[in-house]
Formats: sequence, structure tokens, C-alpha cells
Amino acid sequence: MTALLEASVPRRLRTPRRYVPALLVTPAATFLMVFFIVPLSTVMALTLFDYQPLTRSIRFVGLRNWDRILTSPELQQATVNTVLYAVLTVPVIVGLSLLAALGIHALPRWGGLWRTVYFLPTIATMAAMSVVWRWLFYPGTGLVDSTIGRLTGATDWLHSTTLALPAIAVIGSWAGIGSSMVMFLAGLSSVPQHLHEAGRLDGAGPWHRFWHITWPALGPSTMFALIIATRDALRVFDQVHVMTDGGPLGSTETLADLQWRYGVSYLDIGSGSIVNTVLLGLVLVTVAAQYLAGGRRLERAGAR
Amino acid sequence: MNTTIRRRIGVHTAVAAGGVIMLGPLVLMLAGTFLVGNPLNGDLTPHLTLDHVRDAWAALDWPRVYGTSVLVTGAIFLAQVVTSLPIAYALARWEFRGRTLTFKLVLVCLVIPVQVTAIPIYFLLSDLGLLDSYSALILPSIGSGFCIYLFRQFILAIPASMFDAARLDGVGPVAMLWRVVLPHVRPALVAAGVFSVVSHWNDLYWPSVVLTTDHVATVPYAVAGVSGPDSTVPLSVQLAVAALAALPLLVCFLLVQRHLVRGLVLTADGE
Repeated sequence: MTALLEASVPRRLRTPRRYVPALLVTPAATFLMVFFIVPLSTVMALTLFDYQPLTRSIRFVGLRNWDRILTSPELQQATVNTVLYAVLTVPVIVGLSLLAALGIHALPRWGGLWRTVYFLPTIATMAAMSVVWRWLFYPGTGLVDSTIGRLTGATDWLHSTTLALPAIAVIGSWAGIGSSMVMFLAGLSSVPQHLHEAGRLDGAGPWHRFWHITWPALGPSTMFALIIATRDALRVFDQVHVMTDGGPLGSTETLADLQWRYGVSYLDIGSGSIVNTVLLGLVLVTVAAQYLAGGRRLERAGAR
Repeated sequence: MNTTIRRRIGVHTAVAAGGVIMLGPLVLMLAGTFLVGNPLNGDLTPHLTLDHVRDAWAALDWPRVYGTSVLVTGAIFLAQVVTSLPIAYALARWEFRGRTLTFKLVLVCLVIPVQVTAIPIYFLLSDLGLLDSYSALILPSIGSGFCIYLFRQFILAIPASMFDAARLDGVGPVAMLWRVVLPHVRPALVAAGVFSVVSHWNDLYWPSVVLTTDHVATVPYAVAGVSGPDSTVPLSVQLAVAALAALPLLVCFLLVQRHLVRGLVLTADGE
């Protein structure tokens, strides 16, 4: 990369153009600073203050907010629910979207049609689709109760404290498969075809060819799909907000919805900030773990 | 040969079966919208009606809601392109101090959900008197780690000879952006556009934070107002509202979907 850049930028021209990268970086960097990096630091500081937005009074309270919130069953339940939702959806989304991408990629024709079909749920506005899903989960006569319910006895998912979160997860997976699938398809279209032919000539079966040729080449796609799916799972809000509003009995309350309730609805800024900080910690820990486990494939993808 | 054909049929069947599940809710939504009957009892009759659509159209100020969503998502994407392309070009093709750090920060912004930074941004907007306005919906989404990452990957894949040839033709380092980068990243623009427009058009969270009235309500915000958990609107009409909300984006996607996969470069060597 370095050699390539040096070769492509003649030495005598480089010095007077030192200002160019700064010029190119500044617009985006400004927005990222103002709307990501600075708020990120502020949110952690805000957890230490009692801020009354209406009177605009601010008072340092140290760790008292944390004391109050960390022991609150609401935050604990929301954290557990959020993690559980991620555990229920992320493997399903990444696994099924990989299978879908492999299947669609293997089709000699109609691939484009199925790709579109699988992507449609991603595009369909979740707030609107929640209406349809509430109908499907409608107690007694809904499609879920009259099929799965009749077979297994598990009925009225949305009003059950044990089944409401899985129901939310089913909807999230349905909507999330499309974007991961497209990322995998993009990765698949770049797998060198000659490697597959060489493998076939060497007598490697489909499983061997997948494991030794396709899967390594899909590394960056997998990392990207995994990280985006995890981020989207940890911030789940839309279908919770429209379908269950956190209920029944808080069994579908997620961190994003709880933060909205504290921060926006009750204007309890200290508590809202703590929920934010917990969410931030959760995102960073999960993504860092995936990043390390993934052998830093995402970054290497760019660094050549 | 026989096994190949059999395997192909198997794969196609599996893909089609999955496709039916993916399409199912959308088809049912249209059935509930256009068929006479009470969907709650499951007794939909095969008679078409436009009554639900008419009621759904009357339930919301649709032209205004559509207009707001088009304006907001369009402005966000345009601003994302204008700010992301230069930084992506710099990250991919220029060597400068802090490049690695800048790229790391971009990756951090890529994974941080907006929920985490919502409260400080809310107060910032409130101090600037921007709550409940177009700016409140647009400004926080302009800096996009996703777009920057996507564009950077794509620019890395442009052959260096293209830049060299342009340089010999006397194209300056900044003009390179629209003379070389822009023509080559068109597929990436489509991909970024689909992801950006879809996520911002559909987003319910951010409007719920910064909006207090309905005057700049976006589509999901308006729909959530009609069809929350305690809504008294009949289900067929709610389904029609859902259809009116989802269809414009679905139709737009059908027009650009061919270019979607080509525009994503997620390979190990950026090629």
C-alpha cells in the first residue's frame, strides 16, 4: 500500500499538497466529532450529574445515579432482555442469510428474483410491519396460534412473559436477514472462480471447496454482517415500541426502549445516560470480542 | 450430471421455501388491505375493496408525511455522499499523519448505535432551538461510518493506473474526486443509497426522540401514532396504513436492486 502510494504520488508534488488530506477529511470529521465522539464522552459524564432539563439546573451527584439505577430491576431486566434478543437473533440472521446467499448464488438463473424477495422484509418499514405481525400473533385466530399454537400449545405469544421476546426476535430476524444476505452475496461474487475449478479438478467435494475456498474469502463479509447484525440487535427499538411497548410485565423491555422512556418520556437524564452507558459498554465489549475472534479480518480487508 | 440437476432442484426448492416465508407477511398485509372481511377472525372473502385504503388515506396527512420522509432521507443521503466521499478518498489514496487513527474512529462510529449518543445530541439540538424540525432529523445522521467504510473499500478497488492517467492529464488532487472517484463509485453509491435510505426512512427511534408534534412527522412516526399497541383503528385499516407506509420504498427498491450487490465491496483485498 505504501509503495503503491509513493509510486503514484511523485515526490516533488507531495509536499505542497500536504493540505489536501486535511481538506478532504474535515467535513466528515466535523460531523463525526459533533454527533458521535463528543456526545459519546458527554454521555458518560452526564451519568454523574443530576440534570433537570426543564429548569436547566445541574448538580454533581457523583455515583448516586449509578447506585439508584444499577440496583433497579428495570435496568437489569432490560439488559438481560437485550442480550437475550441478540443471542436469539444474531446467529439466526447470520446463519440463515449465509445459507440463503449460498443457495441464491448457486442458482444459474432467478437468483436476482430471490435476492429481491429476501431483501424486501429489510426494506418494509418495521413500524408498519409490526401491525402485520401483531395480526399474525393475534391470540386464537392469528396465523401463528392456529398453526404453531395448535401443534405445540404455545399460544398468545405477545401476551406471554416467556414468548413475547422470542416473538420480537422472530420479527427482528425476518427483517434482518436481507441486509446480511446482500453482504454475503457481495462477498461470494468476488470468490475467485478459478480456485473453485482447480478444487473441482483436484477432486475436492462441495463441502471441502466451501470450507477451503469460499469461507476464507467470505471473511470480511462475515465480520461485517456479524458486527452490523449485533449492533442492530443491541439497539432494537421499533418493533418493541409498536408491538409490546416493553410488556407484558417488562418482559420485552430493551435497553433502547428503556433509555427512551427514561430520557425522553420521563426526562430523567441521569438514568437515561446510565442506560446509554450500559448499552455502549455492551456494544463495545461484544464488537471487540467479535473483532478479536475474527482475527481482525474487517480492518485487514481495507488495509491490503 | 444427474446429481448436479438434482442438487440444483434441491437448492431452488429450499430457496423458494425460504422466500415464501420472507414474502408471507407482505402478501398477508396486501390481502388484509384489499380483501373484504374481518382479518381478526380469519374470514377474508375473495372480494376486492378499496374502502380500507380510503380510510387509511384519510387517517393521516399522507402527502405531507411522504414529503417529509422524502426530504429527510434525500437530504441525509446527499450530505452523506458529499462528506463521505472526500474522507473515503483520503483514507484510501492519501498518506497523512493520523490516517490509521481516523480510520479507527470511523470504525467506532460504524458500530456505535445512535441510541448511545441520543441524550447529549438531544440537548445540543434543544440548545440550538432545533428540536421538532427538519434539522433535528437530518443533521445527526450525516456523519456516517457506514458510507465512509463502504466508499473507502470501493475506492481501494479502483486501479491505481486510473489515478495516474488522470494526473498526467493534469487533474488536480481534489478534482480527482469528481473526475476519477465519482464516475467509478457509482455502484457503491447505489449500495450506500439503498442502505442509507432504507435505514433512515424506516427509523422510528430518532423521530420519537426529537419530534414533539406531528408537523414534521416521518412515515414510521406517523404510522406508530395510528397503530400503537392500544390503537382503536380497525385492523384492516391499520394494515392498509402499513401498506401505504411500506409500498413506496418497496417500489423504489425494485428499480435499483440490480445494482445493489455490485456496489458492496467486502473482500479481503479490496478488489
